[in-house]
Amino acid sequence: MNPTKDTAGNAPEADKAKERASKNPGKRAGENNNMPLAEYAALNIADIRSALVAGDLSALDLALAAQAALEHLDEQVHAFVQPTFELAQTTANEIDSHNVRATGLAGVPIAFKDNMNQQGTRTTCASKMLANYQSTYTATCVGRALAAGALPMGKLNMDEFAFGSSTETSAFGPTCNPWDIRRVPGGSSGGSAAAVASGMVPVALGSDTGGSIRQPAAFCGVVGFKPTYGTVSRYGVVAFGSSLDQVGPFGRSVACVAATMDAICGRDALDCTSQDVSFSYEQAAHAGTEQGIKGLRVGVVSGYLDLPGVHPEVIAALQGAITRLQQLGAYIQEIELPNAKAALSAYYVIGPCEAFSNLSRFDSVRYGYRRAGADNLGEQYELSRSAGFGAETIRRIMLGSYLLSSGVYDTYYYPAQQVRTLITQDYERAFEQVDVLLTPVSPRTAFEFGEIADPTQMYLSDIFTIPINIAGNGGLSLPVGLGEESKLPVAVQIIGPQFKDFNIMRVAAALEATYDIQRLAPLVQEEHRRTAALRPGEKSAAPRPDAESKPKAHHDDTPAAHDTRLDKTAGEVQ
Amino acid sequence: MDTEHTYLDETDIRGIATYARIGLSDAEVASMTTDLNNIIESLRPITEYDLQGVRPTFHPIAGLANVMREDVLKPGFTRDEALANAPDVLDGQFKIPPILGGESA
Amino acid sequence: MKNLETVLRDWEAVIGLEVHTELTTLTTKMFCGCKIEYGAEPNTHVCPVCLGMPGALPQPNKAAIQSIVLAGLAVGCTIEKRSMFYRKNYFYPDMSKNFQITQGPVAFCMRGGLDLEVVGAAAKERGHREQTRPLTGGAQGYLTHIGITRIHMEEDAGKMVHKGGESGRISGADYSLLDYNRCGTPLIELVTEPDLRTPEEARLFLQKLRQIFLALRISNCSMEQGSLRCDGNVSLRRRGTNALGTKTELKNMNSFKNLHDGLTYEICRQAEVLEGGGRVVQETRHWEPSTRRTISMRVKETADDYRLFPEPDLAPYDLSDEFIAGVRALLPELPDERRERYLRDYDLPLHDANILAYDVDLADFYDAALQTSAKEKSTPTQQLAKQLAKLLINEVLAYLNAHNLTLAQTALSPENLAGLAGLTLSGALSSKQAKAVFAQTVTNGDSPQEIVDKLGFKQVSDVEELTAVARDILTRFPDKVREYRAGKTGLIGFFVGQAMQATAGQANPVLLNETFTGLLNE
Repeated sequence: MNPTKDTAGNAPEADKAKERASKNPGKRAGENNNMPLAEYAALNIADIRSALVAGDLSALDLALAAQAALEHLDEQVHAFVQPTFELAQTTANEIDSHNVRATGLAGVPIAFKDNMNQQGTRTTCASKMLANYQSTYTATCVGRALAAGALPMGKLNMDEFAFGSSTETSAFGPTCNPWDIRRVPGGSSGGSAAAVASGMVPVALGSDTGGSIRQPAAFCGVVGFKPTYGTVSRYGVVAFGSSLDQVGPFGRSVACVAATMDAICGRDALDCTSQDVSFSYEQAAHAGTEQGIKGLRVGVVSGYLDLPGVHPEVIAALQGAITRLQQLGAYIQEIELPNAKAALSAYYVIGPCEAFSNLSRFDSVRYGYRRAGADNLGEQYELSRSAGFGAETIRRIMLGSYLLSSGVYDTYYYPAQQVRTLITQDYERAFEQVDVLLTPVSPRTAFEFGEIADPTQMYLSDIFTIPINIAGNGGLSLPVGLGEESKLPVAVQIIGPQFKDFNIMRVAAALEATYDIQRLAPLVQEEHRRTAALRPGEKSAAPRPDAESKPKAHHDDTPAAHDTRLDKTAGEVQ
Repeated sequence: MDTEHTYLDETDIRGIATYARIGLSDAEVASMTTDLNNIIESLRPITEYDLQGVRPTFHPIAGLANVMREDVLKPGFTRDEALANAPDVLDGQFKIPPILGGESA
Repeated sequence: MKNLETVLRDWEAVIGLEVHTELTTLTTKMFCGCKIEYGAEPNTHVCPVCLGMPGALPQPNKAAIQSIVLAGLAVGCTIEKRSMFYRKNYFYPDMSKNFQITQGPVAFCMRGGLDLEVVGAAAKERGHREQTRPLTGGAQGYLTHIGITRIHMEEDAGKMVHKGGESGRISGADYSLLDYNRCGTPLIELVTEPDLRTPEEARLFLQKLRQIFLALRISNCSMEQGSLRCDGNVSLRRRGTNALGTKTELKNMNSFKNLHDGLTYEICRQAEVLEGGGRVVQETRHWEPSTRRTISMRVKETADDYRLFPEPDLAPYDLSDEFIAGVRALLPELPDERRERYLRDYDLPLHDANILAYDVDLADFYDAALQTSAKEKSTPTQQLAKQLAKLLINEVLAYLNAHNLTLAQTALSPENLAGLAGLTLSGALSSKQAKAVFAQTVTNGDSPQEIVDKLGFKQVSDVEELTAVARDILTRFPDKVREYRAGKTGLIGFFVGQAMQATAGQANPVLLNETFTGLLNE
């Protein structure tokens, strides 16, 4: 594969949108709601800002266009578990009635991984356990995105409680990869990646505990960024591994991701581990495209490409990126990370231990799925938890319960945290020598549904992303085109020193500018060709019921039929 | 992955499940035993390190310490909000089955 | 079953206490901004954090950390600068997250201790006085040191009530109800070394700890409301041996009396088991005051394996010298020091000093009263200090007990009490008048001088006037005069009483006494 030779891009669509927008001066809110799908799908944040400022588009136009895009595309993709069109329109009307400024995320359609609390929505974590759980408060990251003017289009599918790398463990059925619907979008934030890749929203939020933003971003060909641990508040995001979890954005471009970061990052009094951020992600990205990266030092990890199971397309992508970076004037240097090989083991100790504890609160006392018919509380715990949680979730809880038990703690948990120190020191030493590291994201491209059944094999798909969560650094997944044979997106990962995410932004923006690659999945073009313009509710002769009140089968509250655990549901209370 | 290494037998698995308050069928116990043994085997690198004198990293942000808030009231839930998601409610409280009920044996 | 005295002749009881104290004087909970309030409507002081809603994270209350450091300093602990919060994982429905945030091997406060003074009847329980010291001044009793292992910071659980079946019992209940208002209340747990040897020592230790915590004003320490709770560990060993026996853990000793009685019962029960050739089972036992016995808890407590691990959502602690010094500066005078001062500076009787110094509200009031008289005069004289103490103990305490009130619930001010003490001391008021003035100022807050003026109280100290009254009385009771002169000198009280009646209590009784004595001995 040659990543430099990309398939025809559809960037010109964005130009068309601008062109078209400029031809329609003085358009009022809601009048411009028949935007062609491909045009809407190609908009990035900069386009939205200029169109809003020029008055060519209103926030409501964008909310309606996004709604229409969802209605057209999500039946195939199933990225959303709960659209929130009314909320989006209400927000849009508020933005339109106030004088919109071309900053923040004003008028930018956004969607949130369904482990993020948002008042007025259910927050299900794609689990039967929380299928009917109504958020009683709003997560800080969601609140900040909304305060910046983003339009909330809905909640996104994920692996149940973020345990997984394929979105196959969702109790509501899997999300499909927009590039090939027989394939997984990656996970656990598969819904977020697929929603952006299919053009339904320009940005989405996800969370990353071991690669859950970066791997699906790579599988779906969008930009995905896990900031340094502590950069975005975790308050209100249902916890998986508290010392590993970090919220981050997906976007159509590095600039989109950077603008979203500026809106959501920074110290939050409600999260003791959150930190102040003293720079602008957007400016850092801007510096990359404007000033370049001449003289920057890029580290390449020795031995990474020789690891078993790394696909030739992944190797080719990385080598192509190295060549481009050199052409941009960066120095390439080989770096040793001797302890990275133990990261996977450390992760599968620390993650499940924290998860076991974090998921103990799901006991069907204050909220959550309750199985009726228990004679006593202990029975109710066991019945409700075994029926409410899926197989992978139960596996992680069991593992954590074992690893924390007395005696075992000293064999695994404590040493894992010591190994974490060694891994962190590896990165500290590396970043004394280089400004960023360049690695693969995933050893391979998107796999087919059911292709990986063995959990330990599935865990291997995160070998390049997990060490970054262990060390707490930031990492960005940058799409670099399609694999020559697979025709599936391939990506590289750019890793920076702790709390110096601006290095990542700068290099990512500079490197991105050298590619002219297809941003949107072919699905969008196909759908675009089928439908001339986007009007909500006009897709078929029989308009589907309002998605918010009566979701379709795969959006439904009740977990999808292919969850075999559902056989146990007789007699449930909720 | 090989299953030569047996760390846990089915009795262990049942004990772990009881602690984690997860009910497992016999078939689930069997497959869980295989899965967990495989996963635990994959954790071996952790046990093979010489870690003498290495301090653990429980919190990934170096130097983070003493994060506290002032003792100031903040509005919380109304009672209705607090109980909104409860599976069962009585007299403004969360209702649960008896702690010791139904123990026939 | 043998009685305690008999048992302790052959056996040595080894007792340790775990004392939980809620920091009730804080405004908000340990990890969220919800109000701490006893007795509020159920589930009205809750939020995502203390209700354990998905995604909520804890934010520690700085004032709680200050309080525990203050407690540690007051009981001689080393303040550990570096410590962490841990999660203690076990399922119990009153704990909203199914883990409790507590501390691990290193607590904020480690290795302290208190000297315990055991006097009077309480001392009789301990026949063997090894490892004790005599009291100074030859008082009856002994002094013993009780080591404190640690004090750690944690959060309280919610409240659960069991309904149906036997009234409020966990067994046989039909269902249970949960109120999370208390969930997340800051709780400090103090663990003693197994240094206590008698139920009286345990009771006195808890009492002393309570007096200290009240003096620190970190808690209302109400055993009734559950803001002060105490569990005990008891084991027995034969006198003269050192190995520790198997211990039982005793719960539900929610009053000082219950603590004493529960431990007494358990010591005697264990002795009976051991003397009968049996073995003490390590278990948790519940003290039942109604049947006056301890019973093995039927509730299968979760295994001891709590899956403890460092709380990743909270930053570790690395307390600065400034922080600790800042807390040290807040340390008030402790009860022992206060008593010393009262004895040394004011020469109060030991009895009075004990009563005042160990009740922080009374002592603060006393000091404030002394202060106001110091402002008005020069320095408070020992005479005034003693008079104030007497008034506080005889009048004020009696009043409070009779009406079941606290000082704060009365209108009495330190200024007014000092004023009253001054008036009585100068002889301007008779004791009967003083009582009348007190009865008014304690309810209406008027100054004693105002009350004196209003009531027209004026002590008659004019000798001529008093002599006239006295002569009049003597002429009215010639028989009594004769009896007096025949040697029945006790009748002087009768004459004074008559004169007081005649003057409506306004005569100066001291002068009156002198006058009568003079006239009768003429």
